Amino acid sequence: MSSKDLVLAVSGLNVAYNESKVLFDVDLNVRRNQVVACVGRNGAGKSTMLKTIAGFMRPTSGTITSDGESLIGRAAFVIADMGIKYIPQDKKVFSDLTVRENLELGSYASQDYDWMPVFDYFPKLKVLLDRKAGYLSGGERQMLMIGRAILGRPKMLLVDEPTEGLAPSIVMHLRAVFSELAKKTALVIVEQNLPLVCAIADKIYALKEGRIMAELTERASIKPEMCEPYL
Amino acid sequence: MNAQLLISGVIFGLSLGGIFFLMSIGLSLCFGLMRVITLDQLLYYSIGAYLTYTIGLLTGDVWLGIIGGVIVAAMSSFLVERVVFRRIYERDLAFSMITSFGVLIGGVGVIKYFWGLIPRPVPAPIAAQVNILGTDVPSYRLVIIGVAMLVYLGIWIFLNRTIIGKAIRAGTEDCGHVEGLGINVYRLFTITFIIAGALSGLAGGLYAPLIMVDPQMGLEVLAFVFMVVIIGGLGSIKGTLISSLLVGQVVSLGSLIYAPLAQMAPFAVMLLILLIKPTGLFGSTLQKR
Amino acid sequence: MNIVKWWWGLLLCFGLVALGRVFLPLPFAIEVLIFSIYTMGCNYLLGRVGFISFGQPAYLAVGAYAAAFYFFYLGNNPYLGLLIGIVVGMVVSLIIGPLFVRLRGDYFALVNLALAVIIFYLMQKVLANVTHGDNGLWFLTSLTATPILDLTRPDQFFIFAFLAAFALWVFYKYLDDTIFGALCLATKMNDDKVKSLGYSNFNIRLVAFVIANTTTAFAGAMYAVYLGFVSPAITGPERAADPVVVTILGGVGTLYGPLVGSVVYTGLKDVLSKVFGNWELVIGFLLVFIMLAGERGIWGSLEPQLRRLFTRKAAGGVSQ
Repeated sequence: MSSKDLVLAVSGLNVAYNESKVLFDVDLNVRRNQVVACVGRNGAGKSTMLKTIAGFMRPTSGTITSDGESLIGRAAFVIADMGIKYIPQDKKVFSDLTVRENLELGSYASQDYDWMPVFDYFPKLKVLLDRKAGYLSGGERQMLMIGRAILGRPKMLLVDEPTEGLAPSIVMHLRAVFSELAKKTALVIVEQNLPLVCAIADKIYALKEGRIMAELTERASIKPEMCEPYL
Repeated sequence: MNAQLLISGVIFGLSLGGIFFLMSIGLSLCFGLMRVITLDQLLYYSIGAYLTYTIGLLTGDVWLGIIGGVIVAAMSSFLVERVVFRRIYERDLAFSMITSFGVLIGGVGVIKYFWGLIPRPVPAPIAAQVNILGTDVPSYRLVIIGVAMLVYLGIWIFLNRTIIGKAIRAGTEDCGHVEGLGINVYRLFTITFIIAGALSGLAGGLYAPLIMVDPQMGLEVLAFVFMVVIIGGLGSIKGTLISSLLVGQVVSLGSLIYAPLAQMAPFAVMLLILLIKPTGLFGSTLQKR
Repeated sequence: MNIVKWWWGLLLCFGLVALGRVFLPLPFAIEVLIFSIYTMGCNYLLGRVGFISFGQPAYLAVGAYAAAFYFFYLGNNPYLGLLIGIVVGMVVSLIIGPLFVRLRGDYFALVNLALAVIIFYLMQKVLANVTHGDNGLWFLTSLTATPILDLTRPDQFFIFAFLAAFALWVFYKYLDDTIFGALCLATKMNDDKVKSLGYSNFNIRLVAFVIANTTTAFAGAMYAVYLGFVSPAITGPERAADPVVVTILGGVGTLYGPLVGSVVYTGLKDVLSKVFGNWELVIGFLLVFIMLAGERGIWGSLEPQLRRLFTRKAAGGVSQ
């Protein structure tokens, strides 16, 4: 399959923070509407990888392409406009703005003012529209972050540890949402929550100390026990 | 101190506060969004004043001069953002402070080149006086107060009712997230710079008739602008308004009590406030993101 | 550490200065020396501790006016005047230090600038009775000749300034080599690590603050003795940037940066004000240019090159 058909094709990626190198020769492929998970211990470089793909960091070498177009060197907002949205792990929303205004910004950026899909996935947000986002709980913020990001029908979401610190009921909700989303959007999810990830992922990459240690592509072989060694 | 003196002192203080507000809002805005210290705003303040002088002289209309001053100041600010600040957003705060100071000093040199060293007077566009509560007060000062209030209102509407304004507010919280949504944050920076420059130019233009326009004027008010911004807290519009009104009153009423001390009183106030709240009244912490 | 290696830089540098004295006019040489002592304080604060201070003129004025008050009202021994300037500078830094040093980096800068302006107004208006405001205090004629080196005579003052500068540079170089010096740098880069090692960031910064500003006050007192008069203009708002500009020009945090920067700055000012009358323009653009292009300053960029040149030579010698 040529890289032109891949929603994301990463090859030989090397990234460094100032003097210290964080990612070593990382290769990664994501097909259209595929769910790809990245697992690994803290500090393995997973977040760095997502940030680099999203354009917030520059690699020292390697290539990143989406549908044949190179992403390297483009500003992060340009990459977002291309349909690749990054959802960081900090669970931060614009606290001084209301939920409505947060969504408005997402709409303004993507020129997509249809909020129905967002409310389909997260009915709670409709209720909270006029609440200042700073007063939302962790789970509600995560919902808002994802809701904002899916405006404009992105072709791929880069999600960094979405379920970290969230109650099990919300985690279940998110799992269902991701499953639905996967029908129209490619997902690259960085997670420590193995059961979740194994349930929905089509492919798993295991990262350790900046290197891809394993690539599990057989649905059958994707089980938490297979990932354990890498955590 | 009789009532008349008090009233004119308060009005004087309010108009001074209005000028301080217009002068300082640029610094506060730029810091809030971009986390840079933009001392060059004081250059646009001077430019506003000088253009007011020149255009006022050529056309006989000081208001036209003020408008011209605002436009040129805004354009200068835009130019500097493009050429200088674009390259230094990621650097730490000391960097932007030194660089913007370089721009300010260089700009003073440019002003000296074109206009020379001699201070220039600018006639007030309104010479009339108005009677408030038994005291004669120059109408021009009331106009300044009015303009400052309008500007505050305008900024409030901009930041709270327009999408770009909301994007800027979001940016003061986290620029990365704004960019991650797909919004061109660099265009937001430029817009903010232009607004800041325009307001600084407006401050200079409005203030020009009340003082002599001279090349060092930007440097002379530098300390006051700092104090206003520190007391109010960098990055807070409301804080800047409150502290500029406060400093205005302190200087004005203070000079009625004991003139030489009035210039220094804001410093004492600033030290007091910093002792209690090291980031100023409403300021956010000076962290680089 | 190798004694020769430690000293040879200092000796070479000051040897050059002495040589320069032969070719350059005396006032220029003296100005450069005093100015570089003035800048040294700022350079140390910015380069070693990470504090940018736009308010160094405040401490310059403190030292200058302390000496001036002594000369005008009390006595006429230049050495004593210098000592008073130093002591008052130290005392003021010790009083102000605890409040200022606790502020985060950039409030620190702004607050120092405000201090400079306040002292300006103090000397110009508030205390005009004792300071004679803008007219300044004149006491050149009241200074008495001093034994060994007569400070009232410019050529002997130069020798004194030269020796004082040399001593100061030795002190600062020594400081760099001590644990304190290392801690200053560490504090600049990583607060938390220093804390976890058991040191107090606040104390380190405070000591550095006092050292730097006492140095600046000393420069102020030197100005007082050399010029024979002091006026508020030395701490006017236009002067606030001088030490910062020179620090950047010379190279932040480098040992010889202040000297190099002073020579360039004073030289430029002299030359340009005769040609242009508008040297601010050049300095301003130069500053922006340096910041955008490299921020390491003139000496800062030269130093690594020279070092490489000399270590290669030394290595070549050793390997024989």
